[in-house]
Amino acid sequence: MITLKNITKKYSKQTVLDIIALDIPAGQTFGLVGNNGAGKTTMFSCLLDLIKPTTGNVLNNGVEVASSEKWKSFTSAFLDDTFLIGYLMPEEYFYFIGELRGLKKKEVDEFINQFEDFFHGEILGGKKYLRDLSKGNQKKAGVVAALLGEPKVVILDEPFANLDPSTQIRLKQILKDLSKNKETTILVSSHDIQDVTEVCERIVLLEKGKVIKDIVTSPKTLQELEEYFRR
Amino acid sequence: MFFTFLKLQWKSFFRGESVGVNVMTKVLKWFWIVYFGVITPLLGLITYKVLKEDLGIEDPFAYLNKNLIYVFAYWIVMRYFIQPIPVVAIKPLLLTPISKSKIVRHSLGKSIFSFFNIMAFFYLTPLTLILIEEGYQMNQLIGWNLSIIAFVYITNYLNFILNNNDKFLYSIAAILVLIKLLEYYSVFDFTIYSEAFFYSFYTNPLYSLLPWVFLIWLYFYVFKYFKNGLYIDLGLKKSTEEAKIDDFSWLNRFGKTAIFLKNDLRLIKRSKRARGTVLAGIFFLFYGFIFYFSEDIYGPSMTFFGYLFASGGFLFMFGAFVPSWDSQYYSLMMCQNIEYKEYIKSKWSLVVIGTAISTLLACFIYSFVGTNAIFAVLAGGLYNIGINGYLTLWAGAFTKTPIDLDSNKNIFGDTKAFNMKTLLITLPQLVLPIVLFSIGNYYYSASTGCLIVGTVGILGILLKEQVFNLIIKAYKTEKYSTLKAYKQN
Repeated sequence: MITLKNITKKYSKQTVLDIIALDIPAGQTFGLVGNNGAGKTTMFSCLLDLIKPTTGNVLNNGVEVASSEKWKSFTSAFLDDTFLIGYLMPEEYFYFIGELRGLKKKEVDEFINQFEDFFHGEILGGKKYLRDLSKGNQKKAGVVAALLGEPKVVILDEPFANLDPSTQIRLKQILKDLSKNKETTILVSSHDIQDVTEVCERIVLLEKGKVIKDIVTSPKTLQELEEYFRR
Repeated sequence: MFFTFLKLQWKSFFRGESVGVNVMTKVLKWFWIVYFGVITPLLGLITYKVLKEDLGIEDPFAYLNKNLIYVFAYWIVMRYFIQPIPVVAIKPLLLTPISKSKIVRHSLGKSIFSFFNIMAFFYLTPLTLILIEEGYQMNQLIGWNLSIIAFVYITNYLNFILNNNDKFLYSIAAILVLIKLLEYYSVFDFTIYSEAFFYSFYTNPLYSLLPWVFLIWLYFYVFKYFKNGLYIDLGLKKSTEEAKIDDFSWLNRFGKTAIFLKNDLRLIKRSKRARGTVLAGIFFLFYGFIFYFSEDIYGPSMTFFGYLFASGGFLFMFGAFVPSWDSQYYSLMMCQNIEYKEYIKSKWSLVVIGTAISTLLACFIYSFVGTNAIFAVLAGGLYNIGINGYLTLWAGAFTKTPIDLDSNKNIFGDTKAFNMKTLLITLPQLVLPIVLFSIGNYYYSASTGCLIVGTVGILGILLKEQVFNLIIKAYKTEKYSTLKAYKQN
């Protein structure tokens, strides 16, 4: 589904991303781990054509992201709070994203009502604009909006950070359910290796922009990653 | 201590997104300051003459006093939207050994030299000189001036308290409208009292001590108010308003454009910054009057300029910040299921709708002047839609200063990114239509001049697709650096 070829990103002399080849097949749940500055967000930004890599190109379902805009119709993402429109109410925000994805208001309503548990009564029907919600609640709205309209590719940067424990558990369940049908390719990055190993089938470890490990998740994975980060 | 604060501001200036842009921003700001610095004293000089000779008012000074009540009310509203409260990133200072009183004193003291207050001096000085020349008593005028200055500073400090109080502001505006209506239908003339009140400072200069006493009391009140509010859950808390859903589904008939249009309407409704900008654009509607009252001095070409400007308020004030209005969530826009072209087109539609409404309103306002003025306004409107809309949008590709929607920074260029390209486009935007008009006017008539300008505008509208392809190209090449600049919000 997603193919990276010879992707490098250099700022003056510093190389922040250097991936020779990476292929993420359709339907895979892909986890990206690494310390601060490993290049996780840079990689996701390259996939979304938010950053132009110094060399190489990214193919999303055969579409070269830098030269065509066709990937936008089946890809969605939530990277950070620049994906939120602060002056909208959560409902308006969902309708906006939904409309862009060709959904009717009713369909959006049906979709977001599934997440009542996840929202924990703090998102819908409130009297707040997104800018006035807490960081955690903002993230909930952003993540759910990224799932609207059955995208084939969902990219989430640090979706578990800032969430309270119950919400983390619920979000993991949502992602697992989504990956079951094998139709959605999910890309998740995290600082918490336990969260990622729980959700993802495959984990790639980045350091200084390079792929250090590329493993299929097994019961041993968590231990393996912990050992790596301990040294 | 003052220097510590200055140093902080110095750093925030030079370590902002890009110093180059910042410097040019300051240049633009200074351009406006110099512009108003020149035009305000000029207004002061001509006020008496215009009132006496052009409007035939017997006693212009009494007339001024009569209307001062409106001036101050208007002033409060303007300050509310435009004047920034000088708060130097107060939160981190709270835990430093700088005393709270010092922080507050600095904030309040800095505002003494705010643009608004200085402009009052710039206006009053020439006005007073003219009044003395016209035979008014100097000593008494000094008393009057002192009282006016006190009132200027009273509005200055009122603004500190008002800053987060929409309701108070709207009630002032409502009362103002009510008074005006009562006066218009001659039920009750409030201006008589305004005249008596302000004129008393002229007849009895000693009375001017009273507003000063009030001013000093207000200063200490604001001081206390501010100092007590220096807690993160009180004065420094972000004020939140109760949210209400705005449906705007009647806009859906405009297709994909409507999706964005709805958001832009919400933006204008909910962001103080955007609201203030649109309001400032509305004042442009009256720009033509400046030239109308003194057409003999300026000549037909400059009068045409006034009419051109009248319909361009929304375009020049709001449109000039496209796409910076979306800077806080630009990455979202770049990832959504919409092509760049569609997105830019929706922005263009917004500017066109705003300009079309301005043009209609301006036609209505200037209809009393005659068909000439309506022609000029229509021609200007067409040019603004057909040429200036594209140019503003194109320049927007290079405007990379993020806008913080939640704050209310100075609209006059404080955060407006500025570069050679945006400077250069003012030539085709403002100079070219005047040149076109002048040619027509010189060889044939004013209507011919309008016809030429209007035709160029229509041609521009017809070439929409071709022009858009060019604009999109600029936006696509600038995309990555724009995203980067917007991240430094």
